[in-house]
Amino acid sequence: MNAARGPAPLDVTPAKRPIAILDNVSKEYRNEGVTVRAVDGVSLEIGAGSFVALVGRSGCGKSTLLNLAGAMDFPTSGEVRLDGVATSSLDDAGLTRLRREKVGFIFQSFQLLPTLTVIENVELPLLLAGEKNVRDGSMLRLEWVELDALAGRLPHQLSGGQMQRVAIARALVHEPKLLLADEPTGNLDTVTGDIILKLLRRIVSEQGTALLMATHSSEAAALSDLIVHMRDGRVSEIVKK
Amino acid sequence: MSRLVLFYRLIVRPLFREPLRTGLTVLAVALGVAVVLAIDLAGNAAAGSFRSSVETLMGDSDLEVTSTGGLPDGIVGTLATLPYPIRVRPRLQDFVTVEPSGQTVPLIGLDLIGEATDQIVTSVSSGYEEELKNPNDLEGVWAGSSLKVKAGSTIRLLMNDHTREYPVRGVFDDAAEGGGIVVMDIAAAQRELGREGRVDSVLLKVPDKPALGEWQKRLQAALPAGVLTRPVGSRTAENQRMLAAFRWNLRVLSYVALLVGAFLIYNTISVSVVRRRAEIGIVRALGASRNEVLGAFLGEAAFFGVIGALLGCMLGRVIATGALKLLSATVQALYVSSRPGAIELTFTSLVIALLIGIGMSVIAALSPAREAGSVSPTEAMARGQREYATRMHKGRDMLIALGLAAGGVICSVPPAIAGKPLFGYLSAILLVAASALAIPAITDGLLKFSAHTLQQFTGVEGLLAARGLSGSLRRTSVLVAALSTAIAMMTAIGIMVGSFRQTVITWMDSQLQADLYLRPAGSPAADQHPTIPNDLADQIAHLSGVAALDRFRGYDISYEGLPATLGAADFHAVQPFRKSAFLSGRAANAVYRDLLGKDAVVISEPFANKHHLKRGDSITLPMGEARVQFRIVDISFDYASEAGYVVMDRATMLRYLPDPNPSDLAVYVAPGAGLETVRAEIQKAIAGHNILIFSNRSLRMEAIRTFDRTFVITYALEAISVVVAVIGIAGALLALVVDRRREFGLLRFLGAATSQIRKLILVEAGLIGLLANLVGFFLGLALSFILIYVINKQSFGWTIQFHWPTLILVSSLTGVFLATILAGLYPAQVAIRLNPIEVIHEE
Repeated sequence: MNAARGPAPLDVTPAKRPIAILDNVSKEYRNEGVTVRAVDGVSLEIGAGSFVALVGRSGCGKSTLLNLAGAMDFPTSGEVRLDGVATSSLDDAGLTRLRREKVGFIFQSFQLLPTLTVIENVELPLLLAGEKNVRDGSMLRLEWVELDALAGRLPHQLSGGQMQRVAIARALVHEPKLLLADEPTGNLDTVTGDIILKLLRRIVSEQGTALLMATHSSEAAALSDLIVHMRDGRVSEIVKK
Repeated sequence: MSRLVLFYRLIVRPLFREPLRTGLTVLAVALGVAVVLAIDLAGNAAAGSFRSSVETLMGDSDLEVTSTGGLPDGIVGTLATLPYPIRVRPRLQDFVTVEPSGQTVPLIGLDLIGEATDQIVTSVSSGYEEELKNPNDLEGVWAGSSLKVKAGSTIRLLMNDHTREYPVRGVFDDAAEGGGIVVMDIAAAQRELGREGRVDSVLLKVPDKPALGEWQKRLQAALPAGVLTRPVGSRTAENQRMLAAFRWNLRVLSYVALLVGAFLIYNTISVSVVRRRAEIGIVRALGASRNEVLGAFLGEAAFFGVIGALLGCMLGRVIATGALKLLSATVQALYVSSRPGAIELTFTSLVIALLIGIGMSVIAALSPAREAGSVSPTEAMARGQREYATRMHKGRDMLIALGLAAGGVICSVPPAIAGKPLFGYLSAILLVAASALAIPAITDGLLKFSAHTLQQFTGVEGLLAARGLSGSLRRTSVLVAALSTAIAMMTAIGIMVGSFRQTVITWMDSQLQADLYLRPAGSPAADQHPTIPNDLADQIAHLSGVAALDRFRGYDISYEGLPATLGAADFHAVQPFRKSAFLSGRAANAVYRDLLGKDAVVISEPFANKHHLKRGDSITLPMGEARVQFRIVDISFDYASEAGYVVMDRATMLRYLPDPNPSDLAVYVAPGAGLETVRAEIQKAIAGHNILIFSNRSLRMEAIRTFDRTFVITYALEAISVVVAVIGIAGALLALVVDRRREFGLLRFLGAATSQIRKLILVEAGLIGLLANLVGFFLGLALSFILIYVINKQSFGWTIQFHWPTLILVSSLTGVFLATILAGLYPAQVAIRLNPIEVIHEE
């Protein structure tokens, strides 16, 4: 498929119905009078339980696309639908609710709160959603990433790989349908990065969570079901595995 | 030059990118400097021309001859006939009230005939030679130009208890005297004031040789023992000495706002060091030395200091006007009649204010600036580190704090030095320092202890707020220290004033037992004693329904270089009714018996403390032409005057000072007689006299009103300190929001609503307020003990009984707490407006 406007023809099977649909979305920013088109007419469908990698150089629009897909931002044109809900129809409170329920974020620099313990970081999304009795469920998530023994530690007492695993547990604690990972292995060495990637693969396979991952790494992309190459804000190529 | 350019680009220019925060920090410094300057300027204006108002139109006289109760005319003759080439000028001085304006001004009686060529007289009565051909022309007054009356018109003056209209013979320029004077010929003044045959003082001009001290001895030797000879201006010097303690205490209070400002500068520079961590690393890597980094941050502090001090000088000049009004009212009510001079913002006071502002800022910034200079380039540039891992030596600091607190307690024991409670001030400083050092440990402990409890009451925002504050402990501690210092001062003064007030109220219960009080109309000042004719007092005493009448007479005296009031009460008449409290605890009647008709006195507690006297001692007082020794039979509690009272029986006083006219009357109504009926009868008796009647209740209310007025300036100083602290909190919270923007952005990614972000900031602000209230309350309680039992006692001599002003404390602490939360409103708005995408992806 070449870089073209309009929806991408993807196989949409009932088992992989789309959790997120980006329909000809563009995003422009104005910076001191200059308009920058970060994303330009991208159409994409992310099926439930699919692993999609966004690949491209720095500044090609990967992070912007992640933010649009995760209902953190509105497109300048086009439409984003998340689990059937058009994000443009929601106000800020509605977007917040949608994110709480459907989306989990994983960042390159882990983004753990330094003043909270490991388990407190994991249960944070549930507490923000006003849920009670969150400890048990959070511990289960920690066990899943094999860090339950470190529940009482503070982030600065962990290695980079451990911090990213905590971040993954946090991103999954509220059982989102879509995980958005922005360069999750960018701050990790190769070995640790591999561990993280395999963990992400497991999440998709075992839990049926869709994963949209922005990455420079070809090794990371190799683990995905679909590789979307981006260039200058547009989809330049889509490679289906 | 290149250094300056770099300094501007790296340090100064970034400050303009946060105009609000920079402005708040500058304002905090400005207010601190403004308060210090204002109190100094107002104090100088109030005291520097403290020229006792009666030391007006003294001209070039060298010596003043006085006596309690005035000098008989014969003394003038004695002096005039001494074989010395001295100029002798008799003089009468009192106060009159100009009606209808109510302005009280000095009345000076001068010998306009005998002193016709005297420069003062010529300046007063230009053209008088022609007028004085007719003796009737001496009947009028000469008015100072500031009274704004014209020659040839009339002026209504209240003298003692009567008001009359006087023709204005002339107007003279009184600007050099501070304004508002009325001059009469001495004979006319004697008649109008009821002092025929007496003058208040005689001014002497002596040759240059021998020295003035020698002249004083010679002349004193020629005069009766009770007549005093002293240099002109002595009264002013006495007033200034008496007011020294009052001024000192105000000055110390004014430094509290500055201290709070210092905490805030410390915090600002600390934040600046943290934020510029990477820049520090880069410039160090590029060749900047540690000292240059240190200098850069000290320069930033100096920048705040300079701008803040300049603004503070302007603000201080404005505030000084209001401060002077309050100070003058207090001085007039409690000390002496005086006319404040103009506020002079001299070059010296400007320079001092600038040095204080800049110095305070630089000193406050020393510690964080030194830390910035000590960090290595690699450490400073290390990625992933959000803050310096600045170790806080909580345990060590707590131990030092305990040591300082112990030192503070020890320093509360020694006595005053030269009348100043220096150890008391040191004690207070040590306690404040102890608190500042203990705050990190207290804050950390309380936040850790309460985090989960907070979560239960306020949700996850409470947990995040507690952890957030704990995670930036140094910054949190400085904010808590700044606000708690201001709260402590507010609490300490609130308790001290509340205790003082209650003590005065309790004292009035024992002291004010008459049913009605009478005094001549006119403004009541501590050193003015207008009189009521004694035959009028006799008339009142014989009215039916009047069980007893106390005739009190007061005179201003000087004792050991300090002013005091000599008084006499009619203990014989009021013994069955009056029950004053005495330090010995003896029954009032027993004390009165010791006084009746004897050369014995009761002195007030402030007088006893100032002059180190106790029951059983003797004091020698000038009484008319004699010096008389009196035995001190007891010491009374007294809160009416800081200068102090010496009180004897009326019969004793009349033996030495025969003027029978009383200054005040206290009427005891007979049981069964109607108060209003007796009042109406008295009203009839005093018709035609300008005399005020107060019921017991209204006199107490007036006394409390006067009391409350005297502390307005103190409250104002406290309030400014609290405002400075709250401004600092707002600025610091703003900085906190900017520095933790990634955290707030992350929370939004994790599903936090904007209302939750707002709540988080407000809970943090509230926690700072709560911690500060807690520390401030206990520190304030400790400081209140120092104020009540050490500083007040040593400065003024009063015993104050400790009382809890519960309502005032609760309302003011609550008010500060709410203000702190309000200070978080704007920073919360800033946090909400952050774009989470931008802040998360900043790196």
